[in-house]
Amino acid sequence: MDVSFQITNDLAELNTLQAHLKDLQSVWLLTPKTVAEINLVLEEIIANIIAHGDCTGPHPITITLTREGQELTMTVADEGPSFDPTICAAPDITLPLKDRKTGGLGLHLVRTFCQGCSYTRKNNTNILILKRLIPKECR
Amino acid sequence: MEVSISKMRHATIFSLKGRLDSNTAPQFEKQLQDFLRGPNSHLIFDFDNLEYISSAGLRVILNTAKAYNAGPYRFAACAMQEHVQEVFEISGFDSFITIHRTVDESLSALDQA
Repeated sequence: MDVSFQITNDLAELNTLQAHLKDLQSVWLLTPKTVAEINLVLEEIIANIIAHGDCTGPHPITITLTREGQELTMTVADEGPSFDPTICAAPDITLPLKDRKTGGLGLHLVRTFCQGCSYTRKNNTNILILKRLIPKECR
Repeated sequence: MEVSISKMRHATIFSLKGRLDSNTAPQFEKQLQDFLRGPNSHLIFDFDNLEYISSAGLRVILNTAKAYNAGPYRFAACAMQEHVQEVFEISGFDSFITIHRTVDESLSALDQA
C-alpha cells in the first residue's frame, strides 16, 4: 500500500506530517515508538530541505511511503537546489561536551534509524529514498 | 509544546510536554534565554510528558548543558520516555548529561554535587 502527500517548505507543515503518520499508525498497526522514529527521519530530511532550499516562496515537498511486508520505503522529493544529504560527514558523538557541535546530528539520527539511504537528482528534482525495517511487533 | 516552570529547593524545573521539534524548539530556546545567560540556580528538565524530540530539540539541550558546564550551578535531566531516551543515547548526549529516573533523583543528585 502506498501513501503519498504533499507539503510546502514551511516548518509549520510538520504538523501535517504528524497527522498523516497518525493515520498510518492505525492502518499499519505501528507502535508509537516506530511512528516517532519514522516522524523523526522525515522531519530531519524536511527541515534540511527547508534550511538549504529556496525560501523566496512556497515550494512543494512530496512524501511517499510504501510498505512491503516489514520493509518501509520513504521517498522525499523536492525541486529545491541540488542537495545530497547522503554525503554529509557524520558528527563525532564521542567528543566531550565542550567540543561538541550542534550540526550533523539530524542526519546521524536518519542514518541510525534507516537501513538504506540513496540520493538522485533528476529533472531538477532531489529524490531521496530511505529504507527502514519495521519491527516485528508492528504487523 | 507546553513548558511549565517551577522552583523546588535550589533548582528551577522545566516540565516539558508534547513535542520538541524544529517547529517548537525556537520558542523553547527563547523561554530559556535568561536561564542560560546567567544561571542562578540548578536547572532540571523533566521530560516525563515529552513524547517526541528531534535534532532541533537536541540543539537546545546541548546549548543548555554547555551553559551550565562551567558551574557552580548544574543541569540535570530526568524521566525520559523510551523514544526520547533513545534519541539522547544515539546522539551520545548520555555521556555528558546524567539522566535520572525522577525529579526527586535529580534533586538529590544536585544536592550532593
